[in-house]
Amino acid sequence: MQTTTTDALPAVVFRDVVKVYNGRVTALDHVSFEIARGATVALLGPNGAGKSTAIDTMLGLRTPTSGQVRVLGMTPSAAVAAGKIGGMVQTGGLPEGAKVSELVGLFRQLYRDRRSLRELLRLAGITDLADRRADQLSGGQTQRVRFALALAGHPDLLFLDEPTASLDVEARREFWQSVQAIAEQGTTVLFATHYLDEADANASRIIVASHGRVLADGTPAQIKGYTSIRTVRFSTPEPDTSVLLRLPGVGDVLTSDGVVTLRTADADATLPALYALGRPVRGLEVGGGGLEEALLALTSDDRAPGADGYPGPGRAVPATSGPAGHSASGPAGHSASGPTDDPASMMTKAG
Amino acid sequence: MIAFLRFELVRTLRNVRFLVMLVAFPVLIYLIYAKQHGMSQGLTVATLLLVSMAVYSGMGSAMFASGPQLARERQNGWMRQLRISPISTRGWFAAKLVQAILMIIPGLAVLMVLALTYGHVHLAAGRLGELLAVLVLGTIPFCALGLVIGLLFDTQTAQVAQMITLLVMAFLGGIFIQWSDLPHGMQLIGKLLPSYHLAQLGWNAAAGLPLAMSDVAALAAWTAALGLIATWRWRNESTTA
Repeated sequence: MQTTTTDALPAVVFRDVVKVYNGRVTALDHVSFEIARGATVALLGPNGAGKSTAIDTMLGLRTPTSGQVRVLGMTPSAAVAAGKIGGMVQTGGLPEGAKVSELVGLFRQLYRDRRSLRELLRLAGITDLADRRADQLSGGQTQRVRFALALAGHPDLLFLDEPTASLDVEARREFWQSVQAIAEQGTTVLFATHYLDEADANASRIIVASHGRVLADGTPAQIKGYTSIRTVRFSTPEPDTSVLLRLPGVGDVLTSDGVVTLRTADADATLPALYALGRPVRGLEVGGGGLEEALLALTSDDRAPGADGYPGPGRAVPATSGPAGHSASGPAGHSASGPTDDPASMMTKAG
Repeated sequence: MIAFLRFELVRTLRNVRFLVMLVAFPVLIYLIYAKQHGMSQGLTVATLLLVSMAVYSGMGSAMFASGPQLARERQNGWMRQLRISPISTRGWFAAKLVQAILMIIPGLAVLMVLALTYGHVHLAAGRLGELLAVLVLGTIPFCALGLVIGLLFDTQTAQVAQMITLLVMAFLGGIFIQWSDLPHGMQLIGKLLPSYHLAQLGWNAAAGLPLAMSDVAALAAWTAALGLIATWRWRNESTTA
C-alpha cells in the first residue's frame, strides 16, 4: 500500500519545533533534526531535557507550539491512525482486570499488519506471564508488557521513552537484544535514555539534548569524546586552590569543608602530580566523565571536543557539579566498580 | 472496535462484586416499597416504582460502568497507550457507549423479574417491550455522562462527582420524590435534566400513553452535547500523565 515516494522520506522530520507549556516552560527550544529510515537513534539527556516532550510530539500526544513535525511523511496523528507507529511512552500503565494475553491480543487486533501473539510474547520475554493479570505485575514486568504492545502492529517506526527504567540488568540485556532484532528487520528505532552507555551500545547515532535544545548530534564515538573529563575528589587539610589549579589537566577546583573536587581533562597526569605535592590526600575518588560533565563541556563554549574539554579556569562551577548536585551521574566515584546499575559507573565504562 | 469492546466487556465482567453492588440498591428499594397500595399517574405503585428504580439503576450502571475506571486509567497512563494505537476516537467512544449500555442489563433484568413476580405488575407484551426499549435507549446520555466525568475528574474526585451527579439527577428528575412536589426553582432545573425526560418516557410507556417527542429530543440533545465533550477531551487528553 505504501508508495515508494513516502518510503524515501525520512522517518522523522523535526523542523524548528518549539513547545512551551502554560506559556512559561519551554520544553523544546527550536529543535531541528531528521532521522533516516532504518536508523537506531538515541535521544540522550538528563531529566527535563525535553526528551519525553519530543517523543510525545512525534506520537501526536502533544501538539508543538510552533514548527513542523513529520513522521513517515505524515502528520503524527495520521501515522498513528495508519498503525505505522509503535510506542512505549513514560507512565503508560496497564488497565485493570485484563490478562496479559488478552491485552496483547487486543493490541494485535487494533492493527492491520500484526505480529503473532506468540512472537510478541517471546520478543518481550513475557511468555510465562500470559495468563497473569496485567494489573498485578511488577514494574519491570509491566514495562515488558508495554514493549509487546508497542510491537503489536509491526511498526515501521518504534518510539521508546526510557524503556529500561525499571528493568534489572539481565532484563535490560534481553530487552536490547529484542530491539536489535527488530531494528534488523528494518524498523526505525528512536529511544530516549539518560544512560550514555545504553545509547552507546544500542544506537548508531546519538542526539544529546538539554533544556530543550540539541547540544550534540553524532556517532557514539563522537559523543563519547565529550566525556573525557574526570572528577577527582579527596579530602585534605587546608587545601590551596591556586596550587591545585596548576596541576596538569585541572580545569576547576571546588573546595568545601576540606573536601576538594577537581575536574580534569587528564586524570592520569593529575593524580601523580597531586601526590607529588606531598600533602595528605585521603578518601580519593575518581568519578566518571558523567553525562552532566559532558553536557557542561558542551554548553560551556564552542571548543572542539577532546582538545580541552572542560570549562576554562576562573569559570564558576555550576551548582550541579557540587558534591550533592549530580542528578544524572550520581555521586562521582567508584571508577573501578563492576557492572552495576549505578549510572556513574556506566559513564565511566563508556568514557 | 469490536475487539476493543470485547476486551472491555471481559474485564468488566470479571469484576463481579462491582456488578452486584450496582444492582443491589435499587433492588432493595423496590423490595421495600413495591408492596404499597395505591395509584399514581395512572400506574400502580409497583409499576411506578419499577420505572423509577429501573431508571435509577440504569443511570447508575451506565455512569459507574466507565467513569471511575476511566479516571484511574487516565491517571495511570493506559489512556496514553490507547491513544497511540490506531483506535479512532469514534471507535473508542462507540465501544465505550455500548459497553455502558450492556452494563445496565443485569439491573434491569433483576428489576423486571421482581416486578412481574413479587410486585405482580401486569404489562402487555407490547407495552413491556416499549418500556424496555425506552429504558435501554434512554440511558445512552448517561453512558456519555459517565465518560465525561471520567475524563474531567481525577481518580479521587470522579467517584464523588458521579455520586453527586447521580443523586441530583434522581432527586430533581422526579425519581425519588415526585417532580410536582419539588420547589418551583428546582422543578425548572429538574425539567432540564435527562433523568426527568427518561422517567417521563418510562412512565408514559408503562401507562400506554404516547411518548412525547420533546422528551426524546431532550435526551438526544444531551447525548450529542456530552458526546462532543467526551470525544474532544479524549483527543486532547495528554496533560495528566
